[in-house]
Amino acid sequence: MVQEFCDWLSKTDVSVAFQSANWFVPTVQTVHIICIAILLTSVYVVSFRLIGVTRGGQPLAMLVAKSTPWVWITLCVLLGTGILLTITEPARELLNWVFRVKMLMVIALAGILLLVQMRMRRSPEYWTESPTRRFAARAIGIAAVIIGAGIVTAGRWIAYV
Amino acid sequence: MPLQQALARLQDLPFPTQIRESDWLFPTIETMHVFALVLVVGTIMTVDLRLLGLANRERPYSQVAAEMLPWTWTAFAIAALAGMLMFSSKALTYYGNIPFRLKMICLLLAAINMAMFHWLGTRRLEAWDRGRPPRAAKFAGGASLLLWITIVAAGRWVGFTT
Repeated sequence: MVQEFCDWLSKTDVSVAFQSANWFVPTVQTVHIICIAILLTSVYVVSFRLIGVTRGGQPLAMLVAKSTPWVWITLCVLLGTGILLTITEPARELLNWVFRVKMLMVIALAGILLLVQMRMRRSPEYWTESPTRRFAARAIGIAAVIIGAGIVTAGRWIAYV
Repeated sequence: MPLQQALARLQDLPFPTQIRESDWLFPTIETMHVFALVLVVGTIMTVDLRLLGLANRERPYSQVAAEMLPWTWTAFAIAALAGMLMFSSKALTYYGNIPFRLKMICLLLAAINMAMFHWLGTRRLEAWDRGRPPRAAKFAGGASLLLWITIVAAGRWVGFTT
């Protein structure tokens, strides 16, 4: 069924137009990579702070509040550019297990970011209030760093699997 | 030409040959390159946006730079090493590739921009560290932003033209 959907999508006028413009895929991929750079840096700045690798500077609550718009705006642009790339080459993405793993990791990362932001909105001290919370913050930070690296890795390997 | 002979010799060395012929070595090195590069670009953009007055305006420039630049340099060292390994596997092809040459020129310009800003632009840093950067500092930030976007774009075009 997915195969049939890919066949249909790749023959639509929009997909054919995207495929025939040589500049289209590299341009969309460039925007995609710039957004990943902004997203991953925002995620890592917060994660390293949650883990305790970095200290000082601005309070964690302010760091999270400032990164929030960047995270969600870039995630929206990444979704948009990702959809454009999928329309151009549906089978390359939708029939590839690496792409599916990447999407699962994106959902997991978005969930983690939402959790960190929501809890912090309720109480700025939420992640530092008790040893248990500090432990949870560290675990969440480590998970976000690993998942972020996993998303980049999977993104590149889609082209090779 | 001596340079082309040297590049041919480079790509025929055992490890570059192994990278070229292996199914997994090139994608693995490329993944490291991309991972490190996105962190280079993300951290540099944070500093550039501060110089342009578009982000972190309430924080001293020196603090933003001190927090970000060690990560930039570490990630840049990894990206450069991985990039050199990728280059060595197909040195002659990359050498003749126009987007690759553009990428190298932009890297050089970004380095010159950074060095000039470091030596000249930060001379009177105390005067604007907590406030609006002067025009020269804004120019350096804008130029850096444009150069790094071009580096990413040219890098992507290399993959489609080799």
